[in-house]
Amino acid sequence: MNNIIEITKQTIREAFARKIFIMFAGVSSLVLILFAITFAAVGIDDLSGSIQVQSNRDTGIMYEVVGAIKLFIVVPLFGGGLFLSIFSASSFIPNMLEKGNIDVLLSKPISRSQIIFGKFIGGTGVVFVNIAYLVLGIWLLIGLKFSVWDASFLLSIFTITFAFAVLYSLIILIGIISQSSILAMMLSYLIFFILSPILDIRDKIMMLSDSKVLEIVLEGFYYIVPKTSELGTITSNIAVGGGIYDYQPIFTSAVFLILSLALSIIIFSKKDY
Amino acid sequence: MITVEVSNLTKIYESSYKKRRITALTNFNLSVEEGTVFGLLGPNGAGKTTLVKVLLGIVHPTLGSAKILGQNINNYEIRKRVGYLPENHKFPPYLNGEDVLRYVGKLSGCTNDEINSRIDGLLKLVKMEKWKKTKVKKYSKGMMQRLGLAQALINNPDLIFLDEPTDGVDPIGRKEIRDILLNLKKEGKTIFINSHLLSEVELISDRVAILNNGLLIKEGTVEDLTTNKETYSIKLTDDIDKLWFEDNFKDFHLGNITANSFEVKVSDEKELNLLIDELRKAGKNIKEIVPVKTSLEDMFISLINESDKKKTNE
Repeated sequence: MNNIIEITKQTIREAFARKIFIMFAGVSSLVLILFAITFAAVGIDDLSGSIQVQSNRDTGIMYEVVGAIKLFIVVPLFGGGLFLSIFSASSFIPNMLEKGNIDVLLSKPISRSQIIFGKFIGGTGVVFVNIAYLVLGIWLLIGLKFSVWDASFLLSIFTITFAFAVLYSLIILIGIISQSSILAMMLSYLIFFILSPILDIRDKIMMLSDSKVLEIVLEGFYYIVPKTSELGTITSNIAVGGGIYDYQPIFTSAVFLILSLALSIIIFSKKDY
Repeated sequence: MITVEVSNLTKIYESSYKKRRITALTNFNLSVEEGTVFGLLGPNGAGKTTLVKVLLGIVHPTLGSAKILGQNINNYEIRKRVGYLPENHKFPPYLNGEDVLRYVGKLSGCTNDEINSRIDGLLKLVKMEKWKKTKVKKYSKGMMQRLGLAQALINNPDLIFLDEPTDGVDPIGRKEIRDILLNLKKEGKTIFINSHLLSEVELISDRVAILNNGLLIKEGTVEDLTTNKETYSIKLTDDIDKLWFEDNFKDFHLGNITANSFEVKVSDEKELNLLIDELRKAGKNIKEIVPVKTSLEDMFISLINESDKKKTNE
């Protein structure tokens, strides 16, 4: 366990040594400061379209405003935050595998699976802290301003982090196989920005074609490829108070994560460095 | 006690992508005694680094087995008692010297107290105490090598593997590293050195092994390997008349003849004694008889050439 903690700590240090995570935290701080200033300067009436919160209808409008603010944070956080995180984390494994670096690491009393777990927990941990900082900050500001303390919003911290963890497990696998950060990054972006959104709307695509083969291919890929697009929709839904409407994308993505990590450990354990 | 034991070890690197097979080690056997300095010599690509990497679990053997400190190499816990300085090692560039020792110490299973008590002493030992708080990305090659040696010692190991330990270090630094290694030997540590610098290995090693094309060519003490038991230098009390000498001792394989000494190649001790008898009969007084020594470098080059020739003929 100590070994995993040490590798985790080192991965966190490496992450912060890259300026991207610091920039991420800096942008988050700026967003929080801007919201704090806006909330301090503008009254609830102004924010909710000059409607005084007196009736149920007015409360509903206020909740809509709160929901809109949450979406304003969560949607870019899911897209932009994950984009930056993937960019920064893609080099963790190739850097570790560099000649001279890996020799020192593998010569220590530490198993190769512990190294993979440490890298995974460290990378995911950094992203979790960054996302938690912004989401928790906004949740506090909204609570203080509107007295809306909807704890379910905090679930989005976990769904965004989970989406990253799934892609990060793929980054680790590709990094172990190819030792290329570019390839790991490209594949992650391919899934995140292209494959997953396309597979999410496979029903609509299939309506355009009668091909049985296409249907089988799309369905097959749908269950194999991590469902980051649907995780994004779930996150948005959580932001507006809708909760998790479907557990299947979470479950199948978790299976992908476990399989990717298991395969990474198997390949890493067999390789010579 | 045997600290490193290698039995019939073979390592073949296979690339399924390029369909290539490279045999790095062939049926390799070796044992290293506790508390000795063992030098592994060989040209580039001989298999020296592969052997060390197999012993440390960085590379998996194809066939055979190996033990370090009495334990199978698959037991990674045994590496708590092992230190390693790889060739061209790298440390995370965002760490400073002290951080590197702390990080490696933790990975080696040391407690915080152990690490804290060793850091300053080790940095002083390798003369890096001034650079303790400097990021390693600013270190020169020699400084990296010194820090590499310190990290190999952070866990107070019983067995230390050093791959080209003086690479990039200036002559004064080399001497300092040699002294450190000799002190470690005095403390009872076993040191396993891979090096191209034969003269250095000669100075500190108790035993050496010569490796070429993955095969062990020769192994023994430096004394054994550099002593030519067939050739002797014989010094007389009086000067030698070269012509008379060559005429009267033409049955012997005489070598270089100087004012009062000469070299002779004999097939065995009997022939040497016969020569001594002849010299006494001729009234010559013998001052000293010493076996002629070759340098480790000469011996190394001749063995490698011989081995390469043999391989070509095969």
